[in-house]
Amino acid sequence: MAAAKSKSPRHQFAMVLDLNKCLGCQCCTIGCKTQWTQGSGMEAMWWNIVNTMPGRGTPRDAFELGGGYRDGEPVPGQLPGQSEWGEAWDFEYDEVFSRGDEGRAYLRPRERDGASPTWGPNWDEDLGGGEYPHSYFFYLPLLCMNCSKPACLEACPRDAIYRREEDGIVLVDEERCHGYRFCIEACPYKRIYFNLERVIAQKCISCYPRLEAGVAPACVRQCPGRMHHIGYLDDPESTISKLVKKWKVALPLRPDFGVEPNVFYIPPLLPMAFNEKGEFDEKGSRMPLDYLRELFGPDAEKALAKVQAERKKAASGKKSELIDILIARDWKQLLGPYPVDPGKLERPPRK
Amino acid sequence: MAGEVVAIEVCKVEAGLEKLLDPDAGEWGRAAEAMVPIVPTPLDRQPSAYVQVSWRGRPRGGIGEVRVRAVAATGGVAVRLEWAALRPSRLISDVNVYPDGCAMLFAADGREAELGTMGSAGHPVRGWHWRAGTDLPFAVTATGIGTVERAKEHAVRGRARWAEGRWQVVLAGPLGSEGVPLRKGSGLPVAFAVWSGAARERAGLKSYSEQPCELRL
Repeated sequence: MAAAKSKSPRHQFAMVLDLNKCLGCQCCTIGCKTQWTQGSGMEAMWWNIVNTMPGRGTPRDAFELGGGYRDGEPVPGQLPGQSEWGEAWDFEYDEVFSRGDEGRAYLRPRERDGASPTWGPNWDEDLGGGEYPHSYFFYLPLLCMNCSKPACLEACPRDAIYRREEDGIVLVDEERCHGYRFCIEACPYKRIYFNLERVIAQKCISCYPRLEAGVAPACVRQCPGRMHHIGYLDDPESTISKLVKKWKVALPLRPDFGVEPNVFYIPPLLPMAFNEKGEFDEKGSRMPLDYLRELFGPDAEKALAKVQAERKKAASGKKSELIDILIARDWKQLLGPYPVDPGKLERPPRK
Repeated sequence: MAGEVVAIEVCKVEAGLEKLLDPDAGEWGRAAEAMVPIVPTPLDRQPSAYVQVSWRGRPRGGIGEVRVRAVAATGGVAVRLEWAALRPSRLISDVNVYPDGCAMLFAADGREAELGTMGSAGHPVRGWHWRAGTDLPFAVTATGIGTVERAKEHAVRGRARWAEGRWQVVLAGPLGSEGVPLRKGSGLPVAFAVWSGAARERAGLKSYSEQPCELRL
């Protein structure tokens, strides 16, 4: 059934995110929010989110809620309530701004029913893992992975999800969607949202209208860290292909989910441990390698070793194609075949 | 579908459809009540491996029957469905909340269509579908499982009430090609479906009338 529904596209749009450069600034998140999720029923949507890892994610315990495939069979998924994703909180603005000199007032977030929230997007920011002084964390941007075996597409009984023939981008047909939400259960990354007002599923669209105008996605252009590489995975000259296939330093997140995502990550280099004197111990790491293997699969160690080796090579003055790609001295190199400046596009006259 | 046909006698009444939208209207007492047994839809007919796998072994059904009355009135036909719902789900109030619902299905041309498969190519079915939390019921068409589309051009009205552990829903619309293609003297095969929101039923996960039913005018 999945094979019949999901034909191979002519090309595959893909992304590589270098986690060594992610600041956790959420410019990508806000760029996406400003661009796409300002509409009615979308208030609590964060099609792109950056979570701190280790962490419980968005929604809470996102990677423990099932979905994806195991041994070729769909894995049943859970569907959390809105408060597990994080609601669009109200704040007591009137209370705070009208009190004048009458004592103190605080801006408190409130859920729809007036309760204090117990979770939200990026709730456990910067908490991380480990015990001081061996604490550690890194930032992990999450968005639709445009999987080659999209569990969401197979789960929909109405064929309301499809892969674009031209670039493999996975989209929800909002006209066909009847809001059954099997797709949300089936996505192992839990990157699909539900619009309670329109009763349809909605998610990251890879900014496809921008791509069609030659403009990179909002998250890519907004990133000050220059960590997003985009392009076609099947183009051997693309930085995407070089990072994923040639250098093999860009890895899928949770490859055990079985969905073959087309967003890849360069794992964060292991931060050095401290010895008893409080000095850096180059041979030790604060972050357990096992944790990175759990997230990025058994190739995590080899990928890290490759990056480290090329860094040393570049530091010694030798040329390294890999390090040149990762540094991205020319920002436009990140944009692949989408270099158009949206500010220079012709727009219809304002009404 | 196998089994004896459940006949739903359509009683003629002198009243407008507007009045009959009230499930408690006196005219309903004149129509004979038919008990239509309903059973969970087979899992292996769900058009998605994910749905089949994730619902394997989950308790389903439990509603057991829907009671149906039907009247022909000025302006068309009205059908009253009633079923037990101890925990009504009236609204999609959260991401993981599903509403109760019901539907009546019939061949679009009044003749041949396989209701059990939601019609087929060239043999469409039409349905009147009510979902709790929505203002109005809506008409749908389908030519097979997974192909349901809203039919904007077919008018249907309705009203629903939940009281004492039971839903009572009236669906009403015109007779003929614009609505229910019921002709005097001949039976119209129909099927019924009920969704339990409390059981997270939606799409093809529902209880339906496996036994053949007929509206008879």
